[in-house]
Amino acid sequence: MSGLWEVLTEHLPEFSSGFFVTFRLVAVAFVIAIVVGTLVAAFRVAPVRWLNLIGGFYVETFRNIPLLVLLFIAFAGLRRAGVPISPWVAGTASLGLYTAAYIAEALRSGVFAVGKGQVDAALSLGLTYPRTLRLIVLPQAFRTVIPALGSLVIAMIKNSAIVGASLLALPDLLKEARQIQSETFQTTEVFFWAAVGYMILTLSATFAFRYFERRFEIKR
Amino acid sequence: MNREPRWRLIAIAMLVLAALVLAACGDDEEESSDEPAAAAEEFPADTTMAEIQEAGTITIGVKFDVPPFGLNNPQSGEVEGFDVDLGNYIADRLGVEAEFVEANSDNRIPLLVDGSIDLILSTMTITEERDLEIDFSEPYYVANGDVLVPGGSEIAALEDLSGQTVCTALGSTYQETIKAEVPDAQLKLVDRYSECLELIQTDAVDAVSTDNVILTGMVIQDDTLELLDLDFTTEPYGVGIPDGDTEMKEFVDESVAEFIDDGSWQETYDEWVGQYIPEDQIQGPPDITLEEALKLFPL
Repeated sequence: MSGLWEVLTEHLPEFSSGFFVTFRLVAVAFVIAIVVGTLVAAFRVAPVRWLNLIGGFYVETFRNIPLLVLLFIAFAGLRRAGVPISPWVAGTASLGLYTAAYIAEALRSGVFAVGKGQVDAALSLGLTYPRTLRLIVLPQAFRTVIPALGSLVIAMIKNSAIVGASLLALPDLLKEARQIQSETFQTTEVFFWAAVGYMILTLSATFAFRYFERRFEIKR
Repeated sequence: MNREPRWRLIAIAMLVLAALVLAACGDDEEESSDEPAAAAEEFPADTTMAEIQEAGTITIGVKFDVPPFGLNNPQSGEVEGFDVDLGNYIADRLGVEAEFVEANSDNRIPLLVDGSIDLILSTMTITEERDLEIDFSEPYYVANGDVLVPGGSEIAALEDLSGQTVCTALGSTYQETIKAEVPDAQLKLVDRYSECLELIQTDAVDAVSTDNVILTGMVIQDDTLELLDLDFTTEPYGVGIPDGDTEMKEFVDESVAEFIDDGSWQETYDEWVGQYIPEDQIQGPPDITLEEALKLFPL
Protein backbone atom coordinates (compact mmCIF):
# COMPACT_ATOMS: atom_id res chain seq x y z
CA MET A 1 0.00 0.00 0.00
CA SER A 2 1.51 3.24 -1.00
CA GLY A 3 0.90 6.47 0.85
CA LEU A 4 -0.97 9.67 0.10
CA TRP A 5 1.89 11.25 -1.81
CA GLU A 6 2.68 8.14 -3.90
CA VAL A 7 -0.94 7.92 -5.09
CA LEU A 8 -0.56 11.39 -6.59
CA THR A 9 2.88 10.90 -8.13
CA GLU A 10 2.09 7.42 -9.51
CA HIS A 11 -1.16 8.58 -11.12
CA LEU A 12 -0.20 12.14 -12.03
CA PRO A 13 -0.91 11.69 -15.79
CA GLU A 14 -4.48 10.51 -15.09
CA PHE A 15 -5.12 13.15 -12.42
CA SER A 16 -3.84 15.98 -14.61
CA SER A 17 -5.68 14.85 -17.74
CA GLY A 18 -8.88 14.69 -15.66
CA PHE A 19 -8.15 18.09 -14.16
CA PHE A 20 -7.76 19.70 -17.60
CA VAL A 21 -10.92 18.07 -18.93
CA THR A 22 -12.81 19.56 -15.96
CA PHE A 23 -11.05 22.90 -16.49
CA ARG A 24 -11.99 23.03 -20.18
CA LEU A 25 -15.53 21.98 -19.37
CA VAL A 26 -16.09 24.76 -16.80
CA ALA A 27 -14.24 27.36 -18.90
CA VAL A 28 -16.48 26.80 -21.94
CA ALA A 29 -19.61 26.50 -19.77
CA PHE A 30 -18.68 29.77 -18.02
CA VAL A 31 -18.53 31.68 -21.32
CA ILE A 32 -21.89 30.21 -22.41
CA ALA A 33 -23.41 30.99 -19.01
CA ILE A 34 -22.28 34.64 -18.94
CA VAL A 35 -23.31 35.38 -22.54
CA VAL A 36 -26.68 33.62 -22.38
CA GLY A 37 -27.31 34.76 -18.80
CA THR A 38 -26.78 38.43 -19.73
CA LEU A 39 -29.01 38.10 -22.77
CA VAL A 40 -31.80 36.47 -20.77
CA ALA A 41 -31.50 39.08 -18.01
CA ALA A 42 -31.79 41.82 -20.66
CA PHE A 43 -34.91 40.09 -22.02
CA ARG A 44 -36.42 39.90 -18.54
CA VAL A 45 -36.02 43.60 -17.77
CA ALA A 46 -36.84 44.86 -21.28
CA PRO A 47 -39.92 47.07 -21.59
CA VAL A 48 -41.34 44.61 -24.16
CA ARG A 49 -43.80 42.10 -22.82
CA TRP A 50 -43.07 39.20 -25.16
CA LEU A 51 -39.32 39.47 -24.45
CA ASN A 52 -40.13 39.29 -20.71
CA LEU A 53 -42.14 36.15 -21.36
CA ILE A 54 -39.33 34.48 -23.33
CA GLY A 55 -36.80 35.38 -20.61
CA GLY A 56 -39.13 34.11 -17.87
CA PHE A 57 -39.78 30.89 -19.78
CA TYR A 58 -36.04 30.30 -20.18
CA VAL A 59 -35.28 30.84 -16.49
CA GLU A 60 -38.15 28.71 -15.23
CA THR A 61 -37.32 25.88 -17.64
CA PHE A 62 -33.62 25.61 -16.94
CA ARG A 63 -33.86 26.38 -13.23
CA ASN A 64 -36.59 23.84 -12.55
CA ILE A 65 -35.07 20.82 -14.29
CA PRO A 66 -32.36 18.95 -12.37
CA LEU A 67 -29.01 19.17 -14.16
CA LEU A 68 -28.82 15.39 -14.44
CA VAL A 69 -32.20 15.27 -16.21
CA LEU A 70 -31.12 18.09 -18.49
CA LEU A 71 -28.01 16.10 -19.41
CA PHE A 72 -30.10 13.02 -20.23
CA ILE A 73 -32.40 15.07 -22.46
CA ALA A 74 -29.52 16.91 -24.12
CA PHE A 75 -27.56 13.75 -24.84
CA ALA A 76 -29.55 10.50 -24.83
CA GLY A 77 -32.80 12.28 -25.71
CA LEU A 78 -31.39 14.17 -28.69
CA ARG A 79 -29.42 11.18 -29.92
CA ARG A 80 -32.55 9.00 -29.76
CA ALA A 81 -34.25 11.71 -31.81
CA GLY A 82 -31.52 11.37 -34.41
CA VAL A 83 -29.40 14.43 -33.52
CA PRO A 84 -25.76 13.24 -33.41
CA ILE A 85 -24.75 15.54 -30.52
CA SER A 86 -21.35 14.77 -28.97
CA PRO A 87 -20.93 14.23 -25.23
CA TRP A 88 -18.65 17.26 -25.11
CA VAL A 89 -21.20 19.61 -26.73
CA ALA A 90 -24.08 18.19 -24.68
CA GLY A 91 -22.04 18.56 -21.47
CA THR A 92 -20.76 22.10 -21.93
CA ALA A 93 -24.09 23.34 -23.33
CA SER A 94 -26.16 21.79 -20.52
CA LEU A 95 -23.89 23.07 -17.77
CA GLY A 96 -23.64 26.52 -19.39
CA LEU A 97 -27.36 26.93 -20.13
CA TYR A 98 -28.29 25.64 -16.67
CA THR A 99 -25.98 28.12 -14.94
CA ALA A 100 -27.15 30.90 -17.29
CA ALA A 101 -30.64 30.73 -15.74
CA TYR A 102 -29.18 31.49 -12.29
CA ILE A 103 -26.88 34.19 -13.64
CA ALA A 104 -29.84 35.82 -15.38
CA GLU A 105 -31.72 35.94 -12.09
CA ALA A 106 -28.72 37.39 -10.23
CA LEU A 107 -28.23 40.05 -12.92
CA ARG A 108 -31.93 40.90 -12.90
CA SER A 109 -31.73 41.66 -9.19
CA GLY A 110 -28.65 43.78 -9.94
CA VAL A 111 -30.53 45.69 -12.63
CA PHE A 112 -33.32 46.48 -10.17
CA ALA A 113 -30.71 47.84 -7.77
CA VAL A 114 -29.88 50.55 -10.32
CA GLY A 115 -32.20 53.51 -9.64
CA LYS A 116 -35.09 53.86 -12.06
CA GLY A 117 -34.29 57.58 -12.29
CA GLN A 118 -31.06 56.73 -14.11
CA VAL A 119 -32.91 54.77 -16.77
CA ASP A 120 -35.45 57.58 -17.21
CA ALA A 121 -32.63 60.12 -17.43
CA ALA A 122 -30.77 58.09 -20.04
CA LEU A 123 -33.88 57.52 -22.14
CA SER A 124 -34.83 61.21 -21.93
CA LEU A 125 -31.33 62.08 -23.15
CA GLY A 126 -32.14 60.18 -26.29
CA LEU A 127 -30.31 56.88 -25.66
CA THR A 128 -32.07 53.83 -27.04
CA TYR A 129 -33.10 51.12 -24.59
CA PRO A 130 -30.33 48.65 -25.60
CA ARG A 131 -27.74 51.43 -25.29
CA THR A 132 -29.13 52.46 -21.91
CA LEU A 133 -28.73 48.87 -20.76
CA ARG A 134 -25.24 48.50 -22.17
CA LEU A 135 -23.83 51.87 -21.05
CA ILE A 136 -25.73 52.74 -17.86
CA VAL A 137 -27.53 49.80 -16.28
CA LEU A 138 -25.51 46.61 -16.94
CA PRO A 139 -22.09 47.95 -15.85
CA GLN A 140 -23.59 48.95 -12.52
CA ALA A 141 -25.66 45.75 -12.30
CA PHE A 142 -22.57 43.57 -12.88
CA ARG A 143 -20.72 45.44 -10.13
CA THR A 144 -23.48 44.81 -7.58
CA VAL A 145 -23.79 41.13 -8.42
CA ILE A 146 -20.08 40.21 -8.55
CA PRO A 147 -20.22 38.38 -5.18
CA ALA A 148 -23.36 36.51 -6.27
CA LEU A 149 -21.75 35.57 -9.60
CA GLY A 150 -18.74 34.25 -7.70
CA SER A 151 -20.98 31.86 -5.75
CA LEU A 152 -22.71 30.74 -8.95
CA VAL A 153 -19.40 30.00 -10.68
CA ILE A 154 -18.23 27.96 -7.69
CA ALA A 155 -21.51 26.02 -7.83
CA MET A 156 -20.99 25.50 -11.56
CA ILE A 157 -17.48 24.11 -11.06
CA LYS A 158 -18.83 21.63 -8.54
CA ASN A 159 -21.79 20.79 -10.79
CA SER A 160 -19.32 19.83 -13.51
CA ALA A 161 -18.79 16.59 -11.56
CA ILE A 162 -22.40 15.67 -12.38
CA VAL A 163 -21.60 15.99 -16.09
CA GLY A 164 -18.75 13.48 -15.74
CA ALA A 165 -20.79 11.10 -13.61
CA SER A 166 -23.70 11.06 -16.06
CA LEU A 167 -24.22 8.96 -19.17
CA LEU A 168 -21.92 11.34 -21.07
CA ALA A 169 -18.96 9.65 -19.38
CA LEU A 170 -16.54 12.50 -20.02
CA PRO A 171 -13.11 11.62 -18.59
CA ASP A 172 -13.19 14.52 -16.10
CA LEU A 173 -11.39 14.79 -12.76
CA LEU A 174 -14.01 12.76 -10.86
CA LYS A 175 -14.15 10.02 -13.52
CA GLU A 176 -10.35 9.70 -13.59
CA ALA A 177 -10.27 9.60 -9.78
CA ARG A 178 -12.91 6.87 -9.68
CA GLN A 179 -10.95 4.93 -12.29
CA ILE A 180 -7.79 5.13 -10.16
CA GLN A 181 -9.81 4.24 -7.07
CA SER A 182 -11.27 1.14 -8.73
CA GLU A 183 -7.78 -0.02 -9.67
CA THR A 184 -6.00 0.75 -6.39
CA PHE A 185 -8.89 0.68 -3.85
CA GLN A 186 -7.18 3.62 -2.08
CA THR A 187 -10.45 5.46 -1.68
CA THR A 188 -9.45 8.08 0.88
CA GLU A 189 -6.18 9.00 -0.83
CA VAL A 190 -7.63 9.19 -4.33
CA PHE A 191 -10.65 11.31 -3.39
CA PHE A 192 -8.48 13.56 -1.24
CA TRP A 193 -6.54 14.51 -4.38
CA ALA A 194 -9.73 14.85 -6.41
CA ALA A 195 -11.03 17.27 -3.76
CA VAL A 196 -7.76 19.20 -3.94
CA GLY A 197 -8.17 19.43 -7.72
CA TYR A 198 -11.68 20.86 -7.41
CA MET A 199 -10.53 23.26 -4.72
CA ILE A 200 -7.75 24.59 -6.95
CA LEU A 201 -10.45 25.53 -9.46
CA THR A 202 -13.00 26.90 -6.97
CA LEU A 203 -10.43 28.86 -4.94
CA SER A 204 -9.00 30.37 -8.15
CA ALA A 205 -12.52 31.48 -9.03
CA THR A 206 -12.98 32.88 -5.52
CA PHE A 207 -9.79 34.93 -5.76
CA ALA A 208 -10.60 36.13 -9.27
CA PHE A 209 -14.03 37.35 -8.21
CA ARG A 210 -12.63 38.95 -5.06
CA TYR A 211 -10.16 40.83 -7.26
CA PHE A 212 -12.99 42.08 -9.52
CA GLU A 213 -15.00 43.01 -6.47
CA ARG A 214 -12.19 45.20 -5.18
CA ARG A 215 -11.34 46.55 -8.62
CA PHE A 216 -14.88 47.76 -9.33
CA GLU A 217 -15.68 48.70 -5.75
CA ILE A 218 -17.73 51.87 -5.22
CA LYS A 219 -15.64 53.99 -2.87
CA ARG A 220 -17.85 55.15 -0.02
CA MET B 1 -54.33 42.61 1.56
CA ASN B 2 -55.60 40.39 4.34
CA ARG B 3 -52.65 38.31 5.53
CA GLU B 4 -54.49 35.94 7.87
CA PRO B 5 -55.74 33.31 5.36
CA ARG B 6 -52.35 32.98 3.74
CA TRP B 7 -50.69 32.05 7.01
CA ARG B 8 -53.42 29.54 7.63
CA LEU B 9 -52.76 28.05 4.18
CA ILE B 10 -49.04 27.72 4.90
CA ALA B 11 -49.78 26.06 8.25
CA ILE B 12 -52.09 23.56 6.56
CA ALA B 13 -49.53 22.87 3.84
CA MET B 14 -46.87 22.17 6.48
CA LEU B 15 -49.20 19.87 8.40
CA VAL B 16 -49.95 17.93 5.20
CA LEU B 17 -46.23 17.66 4.53
CA ALA B 18 -45.56 16.42 8.06
CA ALA B 19 -48.35 13.86 7.72
CA LEU B 20 -46.86 12.61 4.45
CA VAL B 21 -43.43 12.28 6.03
CA LEU B 22 -44.89 10.31 8.93
CA ALA B 23 -46.86 8.09 6.57
CA ALA B 24 -43.73 7.41 4.53
CA CYS B 25 -41.85 6.43 7.68
CA GLY B 26 -44.63 4.05 8.63
CA ASP B 27 -44.14 2.10 5.41
CA ASP B 28 -40.65 1.11 6.45
CA GLU B 29 -41.87 -1.20 9.18
CA GLU B 30 -41.55 -4.66 7.78
CA GLU B 31 -43.59 -7.57 8.91
CA SER B 32 -41.36 -9.97 10.81
CA SER B 33 -39.99 -12.67 8.52
CA ASP B 34 -41.08 -16.28 8.64
CA GLU B 35 -39.52 -18.82 10.98
CA PRO B 36 -36.22 -20.13 9.60
CA ALA B 37 -36.61 -23.40 7.75
CA ALA B 38 -36.15 -26.39 10.04
CA ALA B 39 -33.57 -28.07 7.80
CA ALA B 40 -30.94 -25.32 8.09
CA GLU B 41 -27.57 -26.22 9.51
CA GLU B 42 -26.53 -24.81 12.91
CA PHE B 43 -23.36 -22.80 13.28
CA PRO B 44 -21.20 -21.77 16.28
CA ALA B 45 -22.50 -18.50 17.77
CA ASP B 46 -19.55 -16.32 16.81
CA THR B 47 -19.65 -17.07 13.06
CA THR B 48 -21.08 -14.77 10.40
CA MET B 49 -23.50 -17.54 9.42
CA ALA B 50 -24.99 -17.61 12.94
CA GLU B 51 -25.30 -13.81 12.90
CA ILE B 52 -27.11 -13.95 9.56
CA GLN B 53 -29.44 -16.66 10.88
CA GLU B 54 -30.13 -14.52 13.94
CA ALA B 55 -31.00 -11.57 11.68
CA GLY B 56 -33.16 -13.76 9.45
CA THR B 57 -31.92 -12.24 6.20
CA ILE B 58 -28.74 -12.30 4.15
CA THR B 59 -28.04 -9.16 2.12
CA ILE B 60 -26.50 -9.93 -1.26
CA GLY B 61 -25.17 -7.41 -3.77
CA VAL B 62 -26.18 -8.28 -7.34
CA LYS B 63 -26.42 -6.35 -10.59
CA PHE B 64 -29.86 -4.94 -11.39
CA ASP B 65 -29.34 -4.32 -15.09
CA VAL B 66 -27.43 -7.32 -16.39
CA PRO B 67 -29.67 -10.03 -17.74
CA PRO B 68 -29.22 -12.99 -17.52
CA PHE B 69 -27.23 -12.70 -14.23
CA GLY B 70 -29.02 -10.04 -12.25
CA LEU B 71 -31.98 -8.06 -13.59
CA ASN B 72 -34.53 -6.05 -11.67
CA ASN B 73 -37.48 -7.14 -13.77
CA PRO B 74 -39.84 -4.19 -14.13
CA GLN B 75 -42.79 -6.51 -14.84
CA SER B 76 -42.54 -8.60 -11.67
CA GLY B 77 -40.65 -6.12 -9.51
CA GLU B 78 -38.31 -8.99 -8.57
CA VAL B 79 -34.59 -9.35 -9.16
CA GLU B 80 -33.84 -12.42 -11.25
CA GLY B 81 -30.99 -14.23 -12.97
CA PHE B 82 -28.17 -16.71 -12.47
CA ASP B 83 -26.51 -14.76 -9.64
CA VAL B 84 -29.89 -14.34 -7.91
CA ASP B 85 -30.60 -18.09 -8.09
CA LEU B 86 -27.21 -18.91 -6.57
CA GLY B 87 -27.85 -16.27 -3.89
CA ASN B 88 -31.22 -17.81 -3.05
CA TYR B 89 -29.57 -21.25 -2.96
CA ILE B 90 -27.04 -20.01 -0.37
CA ALA B 91 -29.83 -18.30 1.63
CA ASP B 92 -31.88 -21.52 1.63
CA ARG B 93 -28.92 -23.45 3.04
CA LEU B 94 -28.84 -20.93 5.89
CA GLY B 95 -32.62 -21.03 6.25
CA VAL B 96 -32.91 -17.27 5.80
CA GLU B 97 -34.45 -14.87 3.33
CA ALA B 98 -32.17 -13.35 0.70
CA GLU B 99 -32.39 -9.61 0.24
CA PHE B 100 -30.90 -8.38 -3.02
CA VAL B 101 -29.47 -4.88 -3.29
CA GLU B 102 -27.87 -3.27 -6.33
CA ALA B 103 -24.09 -3.53 -6.46
CA ASN B 104 -22.37 -2.59 -9.70
CA SER B 105 -18.77 -3.04 -10.80
CA ASP B 106 -17.63 0.19 -9.18
CA ASN B 107 -19.31 0.07 -5.75
CA ARG B 108 -19.62 -3.65 -4.95
CA ILE B 109 -16.29 -4.05 -3.12
CA PRO B 110 -16.72 -0.88 -0.99
CA LEU B 111 -20.25 -2.09 -0.09
CA LEU B 112 -18.89 -5.45 1.08
CA VAL B 113 -15.95 -3.90 2.94
CA ASP B 114 -18.17 -1.45 4.84
CA GLY B 115 -20.60 -4.22 5.79
CA SER B 116 -23.61 -2.95 3.79
CA ILE B 117 -23.83 -6.35 2.12
CA ASP B 118 -22.91 -9.86 3.30
CA LEU B 119 -21.88 -11.30 -0.09
CA ILE B 120 -21.20 -10.12 -3.64
CA LEU B 121 -22.76 -12.05 -6.52
CA SER B 122 -22.31 -9.48 -9.22
CA THR B 123 -20.67 -11.14 -12.28
CA MET B 124 -17.37 -10.48 -10.53
CA THR B 125 -14.19 -11.81 -12.12
CA ILE B 126 -11.64 -13.18 -9.67
CA THR B 127 -8.48 -11.03 -9.69
CA GLU B 128 -5.46 -10.80 -7.40
CA GLU B 129 -6.01 -7.06 -7.00
CA ARG B 130 -9.56 -7.59 -5.70
CA ASP B 131 -8.33 -10.52 -3.61
CA LEU B 132 -6.30 -8.04 -1.55
CA GLU B 133 -9.55 -6.34 -0.47
CA ILE B 134 -11.93 -9.27 -0.16
CA ASP B 135 -11.95 -13.08 -0.31
CA PHE B 136 -13.27 -15.12 -3.23
CA SER B 137 -15.16 -18.39 -3.30
CA GLU B 138 -14.19 -21.12 -5.75
CA PRO B 139 -15.27 -20.08 -9.30
CA TYR B 140 -18.97 -20.62 -10.01
CA TYR B 141 -19.01 -19.55 -13.62
CA VAL B 142 -16.50 -18.88 -16.38
CA ALA B 143 -17.19 -16.05 -18.80
CA ASN B 144 -15.02 -14.84 -21.68
CA GLY B 145 -14.07 -11.38 -22.82
CA ASP B 146 -15.89 -10.29 -25.94
CA VAL B 147 -16.86 -7.27 -28.01
CA LEU B 148 -20.33 -6.13 -29.07
CA VAL B 149 -20.84 -3.91 -32.13
CA PRO B 150 -23.82 -2.54 -34.03
CA GLY B 151 -24.88 -4.70 -36.99
CA GLY B 152 -22.81 -3.90 -40.10
CA SER B 153 -19.88 -2.49 -38.13
CA GLU B 154 -16.41 -2.75 -39.63
CA ILE B 155 -14.94 -3.84 -36.31
CA ALA B 156 -14.16 -7.53 -36.52
CA ALA B 157 -11.17 -8.03 -34.24
CA LEU B 158 -9.71 -6.57 -31.08
CA GLU B 159 -7.13 -4.52 -33.05
CA ASP B 160 -9.95 -2.80 -34.96
CA LEU B 161 -10.93 -1.05 -31.72
CA SER B 162 -7.89 1.19 -32.15
CA GLY B 163 -9.07 4.79 -32.45
CA GLN B 164 -12.68 3.81 -31.68
CA THR B 165 -14.76 4.60 -28.60
CA VAL B 166 -15.38 1.55 -26.43
CA CYS B 167 -17.84 1.42 -23.55
CA THR B 168 -17.32 -0.70 -20.44
CA ALA B 169 -18.17 -0.44 -16.75
CA LEU B 170 -16.07 1.60 -14.36
CA GLY B 171 -14.16 -0.79 -12.11
CA SER B 172 -14.49 -3.79 -14.45
CA THR B 173 -11.51 -5.90 -15.55
CA TYR B 174 -12.00 -4.56 -19.09
CA GLN B 175 -11.05 -1.06 -17.96
CA GLU B 176 -7.48 -2.35 -17.64
CA THR B 177 -7.59 -5.07 -20.32
CA ILE B 178 -8.64 -2.67 -23.11
CA LYS B 179 -6.07 -0.09 -21.99
CA ALA B 180 -3.35 -2.76 -22.18
CA GLU B 181 -4.49 -4.51 -25.39
CA VAL B 182 -5.65 -1.52 -27.43
CA PRO B 183 -4.04 1.62 -25.95
CA ASP B 184 -5.43 3.76 -28.79
CA ALA B 185 -9.04 2.91 -28.03
CA GLN B 186 -10.97 5.70 -26.32
CA LEU B 187 -12.63 4.26 -23.22
CA LYS B 188 -16.09 5.38 -22.13
CA LEU B 189 -16.45 4.30 -18.51
CA VAL B 190 -19.98 4.20 -17.13
CA ASP B 191 -21.48 2.98 -13.86
CA ARG B 192 -23.85 0.40 -15.29
CA TYR B 193 -23.83 -1.87 -18.33
CA SER B 194 -27.33 -0.67 -19.24
CA GLU B 195 -25.70 2.71 -19.95
CA CYS B 196 -23.34 1.00 -22.43
CA LEU B 197 -26.40 -0.46 -24.14
CA GLU B 198 -27.97 3.02 -24.37
CA LEU B 199 -24.73 4.44 -25.78
CA ILE B 200 -24.27 1.77 -28.45
CA GLN B 201 -27.93 1.94 -29.47
CA THR B 202 -27.58 5.66 -30.16
CA ASP B 203 -24.19 5.22 -31.89
CA ALA B 204 -22.52 7.29 -29.16
CA VAL B 205 -19.86 4.57 -28.89
CA ASP B 206 -18.49 2.19 -31.51
CA ALA B 207 -18.35 -0.95 -29.37
CA VAL B 208 -19.01 -2.40 -25.92
CA SER B 209 -16.50 -4.75 -24.37
CA THR B 210 -17.12 -6.99 -21.38
CA ASP B 211 -18.02 -10.61 -20.49
CA ASN B 212 -19.78 -12.51 -23.29
CA VAL B 213 -22.72 -13.43 -21.04
CA ILE B 214 -23.41 -9.79 -20.25
CA LEU B 215 -23.17 -8.92 -23.95
CA THR B 216 -25.49 -11.84 -24.80
CA GLY B 217 -27.99 -10.22 -22.46
CA MET B 218 -27.76 -7.03 -24.53
CA VAL B 219 -28.29 -8.94 -27.79
CA ILE B 220 -31.42 -10.50 -26.24
CA GLN B 221 -32.70 -6.95 -25.62
CA ASP B 222 -31.67 -5.63 -29.04
CA ASP B 223 -31.01 -8.14 -31.81
CA THR B 224 -29.59 -5.54 -34.21
CA LEU B 225 -26.36 -5.76 -32.16
CA GLU B 226 -23.69 -8.32 -32.98
CA LEU B 227 -21.34 -10.32 -30.79
CA LEU B 228 -17.87 -10.86 -32.29
CA ASP B 229 -17.11 -14.11 -30.38
CA LEU B 230 -13.49 -13.12 -29.76
CA ASP B 231 -13.02 -14.82 -26.38
CA PHE B 232 -9.89 -12.78 -25.70
CA THR B 233 -9.92 -13.27 -21.91
CA THR B 234 -11.09 -15.92 -19.47
CA GLU B 235 -13.07 -14.43 -16.59
CA PRO B 236 -13.96 -16.86 -13.79
CA TYR B 237 -16.65 -15.43 -11.50
CA GLY B 238 -16.35 -15.82 -7.73
CA VAL B 239 -18.61 -14.98 -4.81
CA GLY B 240 -17.19 -11.99 -2.90
CA ILE B 241 -16.75 -12.72 0.82
CA PRO B 242 -15.55 -10.26 3.51
CA ASP B 243 -11.75 -10.41 3.82
CA GLY B 244 -10.48 -12.97 6.30
CA ASP B 245 -13.85 -14.57 7.12
CA THR B 246 -12.57 -18.14 6.72
CA GLU B 247 -15.71 -19.82 8.12
CA MET B 248 -17.89 -17.88 5.69
CA LYS B 249 -15.59 -18.74 2.80
CA GLU B 250 -15.71 -22.41 3.74
CA PHE B 251 -19.51 -22.28 3.90
CA VAL B 252 -19.85 -20.48 0.54
CA ASP B 253 -17.37 -22.87 -1.12
CA GLU B 254 -19.43 -25.81 0.15
CA SER B 255 -22.58 -24.15 -1.14
CA VAL B 256 -21.08 -23.55 -4.59
CA ALA B 257 -19.83 -27.16 -4.75
CA GLU B 258 -23.25 -28.46 -3.74
CA PHE B 259 -24.97 -26.12 -6.23
CA ILE B 260 -22.85 -27.71 -8.97
CA ASP B 261 -23.06 -31.30 -7.70
CA ASP B 262 -26.82 -31.54 -7.14
CA GLY B 263 -27.62 -30.38 -10.67
CA SER B 264 -28.87 -26.92 -9.66
CA TRP B 265 -26.03 -25.30 -11.60
CA GLN B 266 -27.00 -26.99 -14.88
CA GLU B 267 -30.67 -26.19 -14.35
CA THR B 268 -29.91 -22.54 -13.66
CA TYR B 269 -27.50 -22.36 -16.59
CA ASP B 270 -30.04 -23.82 -19.01
CA GLU B 271 -32.70 -21.40 -17.80
CA TRP B 272 -30.66 -18.19 -17.97
CA VAL B 273 -27.86 -18.79 -20.46
CA GLY B 274 -28.10 -22.09 -22.35
CA GLN B 275 -31.33 -21.36 -24.19
CA TYR B 276 -30.01 -18.11 -25.67
CA ILE B 277 -26.69 -19.22 -27.16
CA PRO B 278 -25.69 -21.51 -30.05
CA GLU B 279 -25.37 -25.15 -29.05
CA ASP B 280 -21.62 -25.34 -29.68
CA GLN B 281 -21.01 -22.66 -27.07
CA ILE B 282 -22.90 -24.38 -24.27
CA GLN B 283 -20.61 -25.09 -21.35
CA GLY B 284 -20.67 -27.15 -18.19
CA PRO B 285 -19.82 -26.08 -14.62
CA PRO B 286 -16.40 -24.42 -14.20
CA ASP B 287 -13.44 -26.80 -14.15
CA ILE B 288 -11.00 -24.20 -12.83
CA THR B 289 -9.89 -23.70 -9.23
CA LEU B 290 -9.64 -20.42 -7.35
CA GLU B 291 -5.85 -20.69 -7.40
CA GLU B 292 -5.76 -21.05 -11.20
CA ALA B 293 -8.31 -18.25 -11.57
CA LEU B 294 -6.20 -15.82 -9.55
CA LYS B 295 -3.25 -16.42 -11.90
CA LEU B 296 -5.32 -15.18 -14.87
CA PHE B 297 -5.43 -11.65 -13.42
CA PRO B 298 -2.17 -11.22 -11.49
CA LEU B 299 -1.22 -8.00 -9.74
